[in-house]
Amino acid sequence: MNSVNESAKEARARVGFDQVTVVIGMEVHVQLATQSKLFCSCSTQFGAPPNTQTCEVCTGMPGSLPVINNQALQLAIKTGLALNCEIARSTKWDRKNYFYPDLPKGYQISQFDKPICGKGYLDIADANGAFEPRRVRLERAHLEEDAGKSIHDESSRGGNSKIDLNRTGTPLLEIVTKPDMRSAAEARAFLTELKLILVYIGVSDCNMQQGSLRCDGNINLHIEFGGQTIATPIVEIKNLNSFRAAERSLTYEARRQFDLWQQCGLTIDDSPKQTRGWNDAQQVTTMQREKEESADYRYFPDPDLIAVSTSEEEIAAIEEQIDRLPAIWREHLSEVYNLKPYDADVIVSQGRGLVDYFREVADQCGDSRIASNWIGQEVLRYLNESGLEIDRYPVAPRQMAELLKRVVSNQLEQTRAKEVLNEMVASQLSVAAAIEKLGIKAVDHDELKSICQQLIDEHPEVAKQIQDGNIKAVGRLVGKARKLNPNANPGLVKDMILKFLGI
Amino acid sequence: MSEFIDRAVVEQVARLARIHLSEQQLDASSKQLGEILNYVGQLERVTLPDDVEPFFGAIESVNAIRADEVNSSVDRDSILSNAPDSDGEFYSVPPVF
Repeated sequence: MNSVNESAKEARARVGFDQVTVVIGMEVHVQLATQSKLFCSCSTQFGAPPNTQTCEVCTGMPGSLPVINNQALQLAIKTGLALNCEIARSTKWDRKNYFYPDLPKGYQISQFDKPICGKGYLDIADANGAFEPRRVRLERAHLEEDAGKSIHDESSRGGNSKIDLNRTGTPLLEIVTKPDMRSAAEARAFLTELKLILVYIGVSDCNMQQGSLRCDGNINLHIEFGGQTIATPIVEIKNLNSFRAAERSLTYEARRQFDLWQQCGLTIDDSPKQTRGWNDAQQVTTMQREKEESADYRYFPDPDLIAVSTSEEEIAAIEEQIDRLPAIWREHLSEVYNLKPYDADVIVSQGRGLVDYFREVADQCGDSRIASNWIGQEVLRYLNESGLEIDRYPVAPRQMAELLKRVVSNQLEQTRAKEVLNEMVASQLSVAAAIEKLGIKAVDHDELKSICQQLIDEHPEVAKQIQDGNIKAVGRLVGKARKLNPNANPGLVKDMILKFLGI
Repeated sequence: MSEFIDRAVVEQVARLARIHLSEQQLDASSKQLGEILNYVGQLERVTLPDDVEPFFGAIESVNAIRADEVNSSVDRDSILSNAPDSDGEFYSVPPVF
């Protein structure tokens, strides 16, 4: 054993994980919401029978020529504007050459040195303050075509692979960040906010199950050691198919790199970038087999396509289509509706539909806190359980506002109001009709008095406890009041009993 | 400038293109590719003013674009008839891994 190495290893072992800065950059592929493919008029509809949505262009037949889809350009520029990117006035297409069975042309049409969107940024924050707000800078966002889908024989008997080229040529926007994130939680927050923005501006459905949003994470560590900063080798984790997988794999990978560095001391100078995959079942990252010389893509300008130039007027017209972004809505709900940041985020992160629903209810019922509570709890519970979006919620904003007005004015107490809401959801009745169906009537003062008196008479032992100072015992009588008359308002019953007992 | 390009470069390009070249072909390609590069290399001797933008294609026009409209795709049987092997639904290729 070399004593110099041994002492270096011992020194590394004394470094704590708190002396480590985690450095993360993300690459996100987003499928743009076009009807047809990027360079041909085949449909992009998901789920069609295999190889029924292909043609000479997307399968790369000799003599066929690609023509760029205008809508893909528009959606890419719209995304760039929403992400504060520089928009290229002139953009071009390049061939990225590699061989794989799901890439029929032997190259992917992409953008190398003139991406449609240049540098930009996205601000992230955590509503609960789990990390400091951060600006994640974007390196670029470029258009490219998707490859096909390979289905490999999993039986390990070495059977043939099956290829479906329906997806080949589908427009993707690849968004690349600078290595600006400092934890897996920040990476997840970035992905969440990015997805929210993309859905708000309508450029993608971001359906991860259908592959409309895919991400890769690049990660390494900067470690303070021996008076200098040491960087560990960069690892790219490929094909993270959920935000949870992204967060967990990056958390795992940071720790793995730290342990490995403590063991071997390898730095970025000792090892090229490595590709790993996330094994969700075992919750570990694993080494992936490298394609031989895969880095040599021999990009060159695609001679089949000509440059695209975009005028100031076109960019301005696209910018006008962008409505308020999530961050602006959060601010609006906090400032205009006086919601706490967390409550504003709950509504905004559900999408634009719920923001509009909330504003309508809050404006009409006149109490934004109550509107936020009821929407954040009752409405969201229903939507989560049913899997529906807010536009399919059975209670219209006007009806919800009517209900909440009665809560605000104390005509209905909370528990009964929830019963009314459940009835409105179940039988699609108006507030008034639901109240009538449930037989809810206001209990008049005299009846309330006689109920309270009856309870005191029938339960002298409880009355005595209350008079002896155990005020909480009144709850038992309030509960019994509901059995005598379900319309009795618990708050009023409580006050009246205490008054009768002289408290 | 040499008329030949380095054989190692030719071998590398052949490997990336997944083609096998015999010794004889390697020699010939080394000479022919060298001649082509030398011919095109004449352009490097032209002095250009500083404000000239790079030129990416032989066609000067820009913006040949199409509307986002779906037209019918090619019938699956016809498209798969070009494949070396298929099961009628998928292309069938030797296992990748």
